[in-house]
Amino acid sequence: MGPRTIAPPLEPGAPSDFELMRGIQAGDADALSQLYDRYSGILKALILRVIHNEAEADDLLQEIFMEIWNQAKNFSEEKGKPLGWMVTLARRRAIDGLRKKQAYARAEERLQSETEQQPDAWVHNATEDEIVLSDTRVLIRKVIRGLPPAQQQAIELAFFRGMSQREIAAKTNTPLGTVKTRLELGLKKIYDGLKDLKDEL
Amino acid sequence: MNFEQFQNQSRLYVIGALEPEELDEFEKARMKFGKKADDFICKCYALHEAFALSLRPTKSSDVIKERLMAMVKAKKQS
Repeated sequence: MGPRTIAPPLEPGAPSDFELMRGIQAGDADALSQLYDRYSGILKALILRVIHNEAEADDLLQEIFMEIWNQAKNFSEEKGKPLGWMVTLARRRAIDGLRKKQAYARAEERLQSETEQQPDAWVHNATEDEIVLSDTRVLIRKVIRGLPPAQQQAIELAFFRGMSQREIAAKTNTPLGTVKTRLELGLKKIYDGLKDLKDEL
Repeated sequence: MNFEQFQNQSRLYVIGALEPEELDEFEKARMKFGKKADDFICKCYALHEAFALSLRPTKSSDVIKERLMAMVKAKKQS
């Protein structure tokens, strides 16, 4: 049984992500260049969501694509899709970077301020009139927006900040059991929503 | 742990939100359910894609790409 994917559709004739990964595994630098063009914007957005610093995000992005090049041999088509693998790698590096930084406390303060001002800022940080959204993103945001704000916040703190359930409980002054329930319910709704999303795409 | 509980834990696992004391039980259940468990965990990684794709892509620097490709070229030649 293969993993589910919700990646956006490609231009006709464009190499698939799997084909590009096979190229990278074979040492084809042009395949890496194409993969960079295809996903650097998404990965940079993810990194920025974690570390909130443009220059550091650029540096990390470069390191992550270098890691993709160096670690491509460890990518297995049977275990997942290239985008999922890259996002997992980018998220881990970004969260590691965040934890190592002296500026962690400052980023925390900024996050605190953001979450207090906009508790659901994850999917409401721009109006949809301001930006042209791809169909995929519109549909994913619709799924996430369907969650209660407290579930969105718990998932955002876990995924984009790498916080444990205990850390989320302390940060939001919420009982640990409630945090666990919010994460479980929220993630299940998103996961189930992705099934419908795959059908719509 | 039944499979439905395992599914709930799997979604927490892939985003790194399982507490240390939950991980042991999760790993035991993973062994118990075998391939079915591993297949489900694989599918849960679609959550990573979804969270990344929920964000508006940010323009990445051409300079970064040039540096990256230069590093790759140097590595290939070394």
